[in-house]
Amino acid sequence: MAERAVVTRTGGDDVVLEVRDLAKSYPVRRGVLLKRTVGEVQAVDGVSLTLRRGRTLGLVGESGSGKSTLARVLVGIEKPTRGQVLVGGQDVSTMSRAERRHLRRTVQMVFQDPYTSLNPRMSVGEIVGEPFRIHPDAVPARGRRAAVAELLELVGLDPDHANRYPHQFSGGQRQRIGVARALAVKPDVLVCDEPVSALDVSVQGQVINLLEDLQDELGLSYLFIAHDLAVVQHIADEVAVMYLGRVVEQGDDAAVYDDARHPYTRALLSAVPVPDPTARDLPGEIVLEGDPPSPADPPSGCRFHTRCWLARQIAQQSLAGPGAGTEAGGAAEGDGPVVPERCRTQDPVLVRLGAPALVGAAGGPDVPHTVACHFATVPVVPQEPPDLREPVDRSAPADRQEPADRQDPADRQDPADRQDPADRQDPADESVRS
Amino acid sequence: MTAVGQMTTSAPTGGTALRAAAGETLLEVEDLAVEFRTPDGTVRAVDGLSYSVRAGETLAIVGESGCGKSVSSLAVMGLLAPTARITKGAARFRGTDLLALRPKEHRRYCGEHVAMVFQDALAALNPVHTVGYQLGEALRARHGVSRGEARRRAVELLDLVKVPNARQRVDEYPHQFSGGMRQRVMIASALAMDPEVLIADEPTTALDVTVQAQVLRLLAEIQAERTMALVLITHDMGVVAGVADDVTVMYAGRAVEQAPVREIFAAPAHPYTRALLRSVPSLATRGAAAGAGARADAKAAGGRLDVIPGRPPSPGQVPSGCPFHPRCEVAQDVCRTDPPPLAAIPAEALTTAAPRAAACHFALDVLGGARG
Repeated sequence: MAERAVVTRTGGDDVVLEVRDLAKSYPVRRGVLLKRTVGEVQAVDGVSLTLRRGRTLGLVGESGSGKSTLARVLVGIEKPTRGQVLVGGQDVSTMSRAERRHLRRTVQMVFQDPYTSLNPRMSVGEIVGEPFRIHPDAVPARGRRAAVAELLELVGLDPDHANRYPHQFSGGQRQRIGVARALAVKPDVLVCDEPVSALDVSVQGQVINLLEDLQDELGLSYLFIAHDLAVVQHIADEVAVMYLGRVVEQGDDAAVYDDARHPYTRALLSAVPVPDPTARDLPGEIVLEGDPPSPADPPSGCRFHTRCWLARQIAQQSLAGPGAGTEAGGAAEGDGPVVPERCRTQDPVLVRLGAPALVGAAGGPDVPHTVACHFATVPVVPQEPPDLREPVDRSAPADRQEPADRQDPADRQDPADRQDPADRQDPADESVRS
Repeated sequence: MTAVGQMTTSAPTGGTALRAAAGETLLEVEDLAVEFRTPDGTVRAVDGLSYSVRAGETLAIVGESGCGKSVSSLAVMGLLAPTARITKGAARFRGTDLLALRPKEHRRYCGEHVAMVFQDALAALNPVHTVGYQLGEALRARHGVSRGEARRRAVELLDLVKVPNARQRVDEYPHQFSGGMRQRVMIASALAMDPEVLIADEPTTALDVTVQAQVLRLLAEIQAERTMALVLITHDMGVVAGVADDVTVMYAGRAVEQAPVREIFAAPAHPYTRALLRSVPSLATRGAAAGAGARADAKAAGGRLDVIPGRPPSPGQVPSGCPFHPRCEVAQDVCRTDPPPLAAIPAEALTTAAPRAAACHFALDVLGGARG
């Protein structure tokens, strides 16, 4: 398969981890004695990512999107079916075993569940010191006890508790132990797979603050995997959104959150419950129908077309209004929902959007905003007589914190973007709740 | 006796059952206390909890792990573990104290009037029976309906919760359903006896956000259709803001604040509620919340989250005085010694007619600070 993403930003000595066209599939086997391979699950299918020193790349997506598989490939638990993983510019697959083991020190992992990822029979000191047994050259044998104490202190635990066992700690403290273990061999990159989702809300913030402090202190890079978009928004500099094994939208944190162009990203953002009861009855929530399809049998064309609200809307417009259909490429009737022909047959590739990132992180590198959607740049005209309520309606009551600072979206967007279907009340389309 | 009378008259398939008028108080929990026997002695998991919920309305019970929110619901349902004991209190459904009933009657009564949906649908469904069998089980056991009738009813229930192809899926097993679909099956199973009150314990916590939105919408629709009372147990303030009418915040087995949803989000009266609201990063997008400018500023300034120091106490080690005092930013000496009662906030401090209550010695200061 052709390379899916624009890989123009290779090289650069600040790139610590790079993934090129990575794919991982698992065979599906049937039969009891004679196992036959009857198909395969494409858990990750052509993903390219770049992680720079001291930066955080957030990876979001629903269950089955392949984000955890990607994490497992990156730390070497799984071997990729296709594609390359480059650590510090070196391709991991061309290395000898010894080199790979050494390299594995560079990329360490923090697991989701602090209850099952710590061995209950080992003391905290043993858990945090265990990486030294695998990588004896990390710290000389005599210095290990001191190193463990230092690590525990670094993550905010009492070094005197090194001989306690995991069950004597709370969830948040256990996750700190997991972080200390990952930091033992002095990695450059931490792959954090849902590191706070098993924790109480009041404790989540403590662990996130710890990760941010450690990043500042040690210059770490994070690949931060989470389903909680608010947490990712808080911690990440760049965001990649995955759907069924593919990256569908990627870019600077501000670009993806404030100017989401992929209909899946927009639906995800709109599904996040807003902690403001006064925003409840306002229009704008996009409720997707159905569950994500199985990665064993992904839909043809654009993988999102079976749930895509935008495709349906465009198809309806092309049926209703003359002229509009040429842009949409014509709609076809079928068993499934009516969507434009292109969405059903052509697989969209990640393309860079014209405008540079609107609000770049101060001093950060310019990260292109890429989207895999045929209609990412097509202006969508609301088909009902528009209820020209400004999107401001939806935000105004939510604006408890900084009302003055919020920019009017109309001021910094091209006119096409003002016709935002997500912000319109549209009784004809059942996927947009009014 | 009246309980038995009501039971025999309630219709098995719904529709003819007497529906509550919207606004009628259906479930009233009063001064409930639950204790557990543990090797380290008796532990009080719920300590004097009171709440009520009316027909057609949603009460959200919010709290972190170990605060007693689930235990209190299990007590209402008569589903507590054998090591637990209800030491005081009442749970009245339309005036009948469920807790005074014999265990068998209690569960039977609950089955028909008060149903519960659990967080982990995979664990709550039996893996060796088809979904249809499990949905029809209660009807066959309680009302002796035939197997064919039970199956027909199961298909209806799956249709009700919008499981596509209900006719085929009724013969499938729980593992063949996705997480969201399993949670729908759980809801269908709770609705089988056409309950007036539904207690949902973290019904969407294990689900993806897009699926969570679907399930929350489904619950709201069903509730509106049947003027059902909904008790929603959750830790997610976003979910609370989206669906609740009233909110009870629990901490260390007690209700620390009770208020209508708009009031509690606009101006919390308990420092724990306030800290909880602050500690959750909320999504800032174009058109929502703070916006890009504010966020970029926050990031540049270090962007640390406001956190509550420490962690929720485990039920065995509840601090003296106000249980929140070791983590509280406004705690004074009095907080270490005197547990504050859950007291009504005086009418002159309220902005609306709806009553509010908070268990804090400095509730008025907290409330005033939030407004100011």
